[in-house]
Amino acid sequence: MAETGRLTAPAAPLFAPVTLLRAAIIAAVLVIWELVAASGLLFRDVVPSLSVIGRALAELLMDKTYYWHLGVTAGEIGIAMLIGGLAGLVVGILLGSNKLLSRAYEAYLYYLGPTPKIIFFPVMIMWFGVGPGSKVAMGTISCFFPVALSAAAGMRQINPVLIRVGKSFRASTWQMVTKIYLPAMRLPILNGVRLGLGVAIIGTLLAETKLSNRGIGFLIINAYSTFNMPRMYALLIVLFMLSIGVNALVGRLGGVDAVKK
Amino acid sequence: MTARAQNNLVPFALGLGTLICAVLLAEILIRAGLVNRFIVPMPSQIAGAFHRVITEEDIPHRFLVTAREALWATLLLALVGIGIGVLLYRVKLLRDATETWVAAFASAPTVLMYPLFLVIFGRSEKTIIMMGFVAGLPAVILKTIEGLAGTRKVLVNVGRSFKLTEVQLFWKIYFPAAMPTIFVGMRLGMIFALINIVGVEFLINFGGLGQLINDLAERYDLPGTYAAICFVILVSVIFFFLTDRLEKWLRPAA
Amino acid sequence: MALAPQRSDAPRAAAVAPLLVVNDVSKKFETPDGVVTAVDHMSFDVAPGEFLAVIGPSGCGKSTLFNIIGGLLDGYDGHVTVAGETVKGPHPSIGMVFQEESAFPWRTVTENVAFPLEIAGQPKAQRIERARHFVDLVGLRGFENRYPAELSGGMRQRVAIARTLASEPKILLMDEPFGALDEQTRLLLGDKVLQIQDQLKQTCLLITHNITEAVQLADRVLVMTYRPGKLKRMVAIELPRPRSSEIVSSDAFGRYVAQIWGDLREEASRGMHDDETLRAAQK
Repeated sequence: MAETGRLTAPAAPLFAPVTLLRAAIIAAVLVIWELVAASGLLFRDVVPSLSVIGRALAELLMDKTYYWHLGVTAGEIGIAMLIGGLAGLVVGILLGSNKLLSRAYEAYLYYLGPTPKIIFFPVMIMWFGVGPGSKVAMGTISCFFPVALSAAAGMRQINPVLIRVGKSFRASTWQMVTKIYLPAMRLPILNGVRLGLGVAIIGTLLAETKLSNRGIGFLIINAYSTFNMPRMYALLIVLFMLSIGVNALVGRLGGVDAVKK
Repeated sequence: MTARAQNNLVPFALGLGTLICAVLLAEILIRAGLVNRFIVPMPSQIAGAFHRVITEEDIPHRFLVTAREALWATLLLALVGIGIGVLLYRVKLLRDATETWVAAFASAPTVLMYPLFLVIFGRSEKTIIMMGFVAGLPAVILKTIEGLAGTRKVLVNVGRSFKLTEVQLFWKIYFPAAMPTIFVGMRLGMIFALINIVGVEFLINFGGLGQLINDLAERYDLPGTYAAICFVILVSVIFFFLTDRLEKWLRPAA
Repeated sequence: MALAPQRSDAPRAAAVAPLLVVNDVSKKFETPDGVVTAVDHMSFDVAPGEFLAVIGPSGCGKSTLFNIIGGLLDGYDGHVTVAGETVKGPHPSIGMVFQEESAFPWRTVTENVAFPLEIAGQPKAQRIERARHFVDLVGLRGFENRYPAELSGGMRQRVAIARTLASEPKILLMDEPFGALDEQTRLLLGDKVLQIQDQLKQTCLLITHNITEAVQLADRVLVMTYRPGKLKRMVAIELPRPRSSEIVSSDAFGRYVAQIWGDLREEASRGMHDDETLRAAQK
């Protein structure tokens, strides 16, 4: 396709105004940070210079024990998601498929959902001890609610004709669940899992900051009590990157499905 | 009673009934010694603790402390959150650049920054208020943008046909049209803020209701701890319910 | 397969044992406005290899009849037998094609068509091959790996038909499968259905409100009254087979349509009158 009379080539994505603005914003934040750090305006250690933070970050990523702690936390969250997610799925499907059950119990889930679960932590400690058990419990009760509510809503939005198709082919209950209900609900469930993951991460980590001797939450509160600010910043940066990354990944799973919608 | 009322009564009774049965079952199991009473106090003990906790632990005062923190956080959310939302909407380039960042921030565990805020603001109400504010901020910003962007074109055209200036157009057409969605955002923000406020109160052992739970737990007052948890859940549920009703009243079509 | 010519008011089919027997079926519903009789003592059969169309005005109980025969509805009087067995729930010898779009959006065309075979437990390689055969039969070769969202409405209905055919039912039960499609697509799909029926010697029962469709496809047309739904008239369509959509322009075709419309019109206007009365009462 010949293009005559153009003075400039179409902007390459690399230099699109949006990208430039983003780079500018990031640069501005970093510059302001460094200025504040150097000026000593705030208590020096509260705003360490970028190089100090950078060094702490590098140290952290090269520290074997960090990965061990990360593994502990990831394991806790993983198990919590497994238990809470499965329980939420089962309860959600039950509630979504039966009007009576839904009207009797779903309101409890709906109103208990947005409560601060961390206040249950003392009870979880009593029941599951001070070890990883209570952290897994925190994660589990956190993620149960969003998954259950999404699954229940998901059941109700299934196109009724698809259920009739399954019945007309005499599918067993198990076949109905695995071949019709779950696939038809995959987007709401994925959303619920995404939300559940977010709150499971929060629940588990907060529990680790409160009472634990392992895990990323423990490392953070440990950095606080030893007033090792650069390390705390490094840990927070890593934590945020990881959780945003995982969230985006799960979201991607939903995006791939868009063609099937 | 009418068929419809009967229809609604059965599920309600079922739900409530199950709850009561569960509580009774717990009472029986604990009395029988099948469940350790030093891990799970008897529901009757918890009920007894309610009165004690309310009078001895000065619940009204604590409630006010938490409420005050929530109020400050809400104020900040309204001013800063809606403000940023408006700004992002007006400056399209800024919005395109930062909206995904705000959305990503919404999914990040911001409350984990509380140790950082402790260092910056000390063990005080400021930390708690700021944590609540930060938790609710992305929701308010995003919903404000959504509300403004969703203004029906025809309303804008009506404004243009009356030759309103850009500023008038914004304040008399866009903003009012966006109000319901902005309210939804404020409600979400307030809920997230409250959750984080109570949570941080618990974690840093400072403040109102959240601190109470931590206190009772550290004193090993088990019935008191359970009672306080129930009380906080009650407050949270009422708050959620009231704002839910308010939202439904403001947006009947939603 | 030639059928003996029928007197137009005889509900019974030829001497060969009927495949489907609907025997004195009645169904009532409880509504806030009282008891409504959807189907009122209906009896008819369908012979093997026959194409029966059931036509009636909206609200006459056709879909109720469809659900009863398909085994998705119970609590009715009378009984339905297929190949000698009483219908007590969805029967393996009956295949259903629904009015709404029912292809599974998350499965490809082939996976959709293989669904009944999967339910029956056939091994994967075998069911994919069988499914491909039916995908081909409905004319969707080349689209085996597409998702329903990538297909047109008519193609999606063909997927649903292929899926039901894959379960090789003795009788194919269809509830206004082409209702959402435009007239031209409908006529062409009608051709396809005729082709398939001819090839497979498939027995079909089609529920429709479209007279052209009924006359184009069927050997006999059962005209239902408005509520309560009764058999008003059975019309034998003596147009030659194999048929194609060109037949719609013939004189004989026009006469059948006119005849059926004569019966239907009365019922349809009763339905319209009822509807208007109801709306007026709601104000």
